[in-house]
Order: sequence, then structure tokens, then C-alpha cells
Amino acid sequence: MVTEKEIEHVSKLMKIDVNDHAEYVDKVHAMIDYFDILDSAGVESEEISMSEISLSSLREDEHITFDEKLIEKLNHYKGTYVRAPKMSS
Amino acid sequence: MNLKISALEFAQQVQNGNISAEDFVAESIQRIQKIDGDLHAFLSVNDDAIEQARTIDKKIKSGDKVGACFGMPISIKDNMCIKNSKTTCASKMLENFIAPYDATVITKLKQQDAIFIGKVNMDEFAMGLSTEFSAYGPSKNPWNTDYVPGGSSGGSAVSVSAFECVASLGSDTGGSVRNPASFCSVVGYKPTYGLISRYGLISYANSIEQIGPLTRTVKDTAFLLNIIAGLDHNDNTTIDNHNEDYLSGIDSGIEGKKIGIISEMIGEGIDPTVLSATKDAISKLEGLGAICEEVSLDMVKYSVAAYYTITATEAGSNLARYDNLRYGYEFPVEGYEFNSYISKARQKFGPEVTRRMIIGGFVPSAGHAGKYFLKAMKVKSKLTKEINEAFKKFDLLIAPTVPILPFKIGEKIDDPVSLFLVDINTVTANLTGKPAISIPFTTSNGLPIGIQLFANSNQDKLLLQAAHALEQTVKLPEVPI
Repeated sequence: MVTEKEIEHVSKLMKIDVNDHAEYVDKVHAMIDYFDILDSAGVESEEISMSEISLSSLREDEHITFDEKLIEKLNHYKGTYVRAPKMSS
Repeated sequence: MNLKISALEFAQQVQNGNISAEDFVAESIQRIQKIDGDLHAFLSVNDDAIEQARTIDKKIKSGDKVGACFGMPISIKDNMCIKNSKTTCASKMLENFIAPYDATVITKLKQQDAIFIGKVNMDEFAMGLSTEFSAYGPSKNPWNTDYVPGGSSGGSAVSVSAFECVASLGSDTGGSVRNPASFCSVVGYKPTYGLISRYGLISYANSIEQIGPLTRTVKDTAFLLNIIAGLDHNDNTTIDNHNEDYLSGIDSGIEGKKIGIISEMIGEGIDPTVLSATKDAISKLEGLGAICEEVSLDMVKYSVAAYYTITATEAGSNLARYDNLRYGYEFPVEGYEFNSYISKARQKFGPEVTRRMIIGGFVPSAGHAGKYFLKAMKVKSKLTKEINEAFKKFDLLIAPTVPILPFKIGEKIDDPVSLFLVDINTVTANLTGKPAISIPFTTSNGLPIGIQLFANSNQDKLLLQAAHALEQTVKLPEVPI
């Protein structure tokens, strides 16, 4: 059983404000509680299957020129630099 | 002008000169202007569509080579990039995002002279199954506007069902093409994983999502699949379909085919009218020479929990890019510390996206991954084994697309677990990578019911043949709008 404190902690790590407790913590709680059904699936010994793509099937890792300056599309592009929030308060 | 024709009929009539692409597109836009205020299928309409149709008419008149779509008006779910067009994902986070490139499906359709008549509504970032989680308001079911159209590709289904365009592209992560197709009485197709490139589709859960057509007929789906399927060097998960022609032989029938009825999808929680419709569909298939018997896929019981665990995990990672520095809305950075800026900016995410991001952080985290994410991946593996085993005995599988009838707008929005369970019959195809299709079958009290057929991986052609055969047995009322 997950606790509200755990949900609030993960929200902070995910950089999400959960100021509306009923909308976020309560509903997330109900959703995660539903996942407890997985405990009765009896899959403990099951191997996880993965699909693999061989390196030879991947396209060449080469530079492809884009016909526009994508940096200019950034929200906070200032001509010669991109403005970002300060890293510490 | 008859707007109620199929995509193939449209292409033939324009090619033969019976109608012009310009007239058809102009009338489609008039219809959108007339009825979409009530339905809210469209988030934006292409202002250049009529001019583009005129150009195609000129090419036809001058004898130039014209692509197979002949100016066909197609709507596009607003999570696929069309260069220089808004692509919002129905989110306030991307309300001003202009795509700098075309998705591969868009490039392929442009090469065949399709016209993108507009971008259509969806649940925000495709997270939902009713289109109620769009940041721009819900779409409404044209069969009864008090009801949801399904989702997350709700705008796609509404636009085709209400004759605002002839076809649409949606995306299907857990049923998001098939569910609204069923609720709005159109055909909805989720191909074999990898058959259609996802390049230019805004990512939600890459390992299971696929782009798929929503059309009036199964033949129209095969026609679009011929155009958009195949290898793409920009998406390494695509598979080589060797230029399969999905239209040829579509009327081959299903005589002698073995069809498994998935027990877990017609049991507890199914609406009696949906069960009755499913039994009717099975009888019709038997009448066409198919051999039907029940088959059990035990892991279906756990599929919804596994699906939401896996998709939330992938969403938590995919949506981490929305920090409002690379993409986003006007919100100055001055005065904010880095983390608090991102937290503040992310308040533009709607409630469902926010919840799934929290879950996406929680279920794969240290201390919880073994209980949730790894177990979900094991259910996915076991479910795949079970369905592969079933396909050793059966050519196709059948179940209702959705176990309940369309529900009223607002009816389930405050009960997330109840909403989860609406997906019980559709997520299996996504978790296992199998192709599946929803075929309009009947109505109950004026609300549509769709029937779902599944095939083994890369048996898309067989699946379309079977769907076409079932479709030919059905006579449906016209949408009352």
C-alpha cells in the first residue's frame, strides 16, 4: 500500500506541484492501489522478453543538415544565447 | 455534393471528373463551420485547404501525374507534426508550438496529394479514452452529443463519423483509435507494431503506440495503409512490409478460417447489449464459413494494470522534455530558480497528464520497480506468449472493442479506475504488438457498438480481409447529424 507521503515525495522529484490534494494525491493513490492486482498475476518466475535491433540495422550516425535554425525556435532565445532560470536560489 | 462517400469513392470520382477536389473540400469546410461548434472535433482548420485542392484540380485538368489521394480531405490527430502548422497535443503546454518538420506519415500522404483539412481534438498527450481530457474542451459524439466520442483520438472519429472529412489518422497506445471508432461507428485500425513509422508522432509510450487510420470502410483503411506503411530510416522500430498491397484480395472472404473468442473479454462487466452484439457477429462470421470457439488468455485480467504501469513509466520519461525551455508557452524565466521554474511551468499540464507523470515517477522508482514496473513487464511477456499460443490454433481472435456502450460526458471523469477498465479489451493488442481493428457492427438505443478482430503479427492483410467480410454483413443507420 502506497502512502500519501511517498506520492508527494515522487511528485517533488518529478518537478510537479501537487497543490490540489484531491485531484492529484487522492486519485493517484487510487490508481496505484489498483496496480496491486499485479501481485496476484503469478508472474514472478516469468522472463521479461525484449525485442532487439542489431547495430547493423540502425541508420548511420551522421550529421543531417536541417534547413532552419532550430535554436531560434526556443522560447528564450536571445540572439546569441538562450536565457535559462538560475541554477541555485 | 454528397460528402457521405468513402475515401476510395472520392478518389475515383475526382479522377473521373465527376466532382472537383476544390468543391468537395470547400463543402467539407462549410460543414465543419456549420456543425463543429456542437461537436468540437477540430482544434484548427487548414486555411489553405481550398487553394491546395484547386492546385490538384489543375494538375488533373492539365494531365499531370496526380497522387492516389486526388485531394482527399483528411483530418490529423493533433499529436502528429505537419511542418509550419500548430501541433498542440491538445495541451496548453504546446498551445503555440509550430512543428518544424513533417511526420513520415504526413510526408507520404503529401506525396499522394492528400489535403490535411485540419488538426483534430484528443485527450491531452493522448492520455485518456473519452477526449474529455483535452485542454480545449471535450469533443462530442455525433450519435448523441450528450455522450463521449471515445478517445484519445476522439476528434478523428467524430470528424469521419460526422462527414467533416473522408478519413483521419489517429494514434493508438491502448485502444485510442479503436475505442473512438467503436463509439462513433467508424472503422479504426491499430496495425502490427512497427508497420507505420512513428517519426513525427509526439511520444507518449513509444514501445507500444502506433499511428492508425480511422475511415468509413475497411477498404479505405487498406487504401491508406498502402500509402503510409513500411520501413522508415527515421524510426528504427519500423518493419519491412515488402510493399504489401492490402487492398488486393480484400474480398477473399473467411471461409474455413478459425476464430478464437477471447473468454476474458466477454465475461464479467460486459454490457448485455454488447455481449448480444458480439454473439450476433460471431454467428455472422460462422455464416460466412468461419469456425469459432472460445479461447482463454488468462493475463487479460492483469493487462490494464500492466498497461497503465508501462505507459506511465514511458510517459514520465517522454514528458520530462516539457520544461518550458525547449518547447512551451510564454512564461519568463527571470526571478526563478531552475527547479521551481519547471514546477511552475508544468502547472499548464492538465490533471490527467499530471497524475500520469507522478505515477510514471513512482512505479519504476527504486524500491517500487519490482512490485510494479517489472511485474507489469512480466505480465506483458506472459500475455504475448499466451496470444502467440492462441495464434497457433486460430487465424484470428474476436471480442467486442469496448465492453460497454458510450457513456455520458462527465459520467466517469472523477473515477480513474473505472475509466481504466474501459480499456480492458483493447490494450492486449498494444502490449503484444498484434494488429487489431474495430468494425462498426450495430447500435443500441442510438449508440454504436464496434466489434474487434485481432490477427497475428504481420497478418494485417488477413485481418483486413476478415474485417471486410464482417463489414459486408452489416447495415447501419446513418449518423443523426
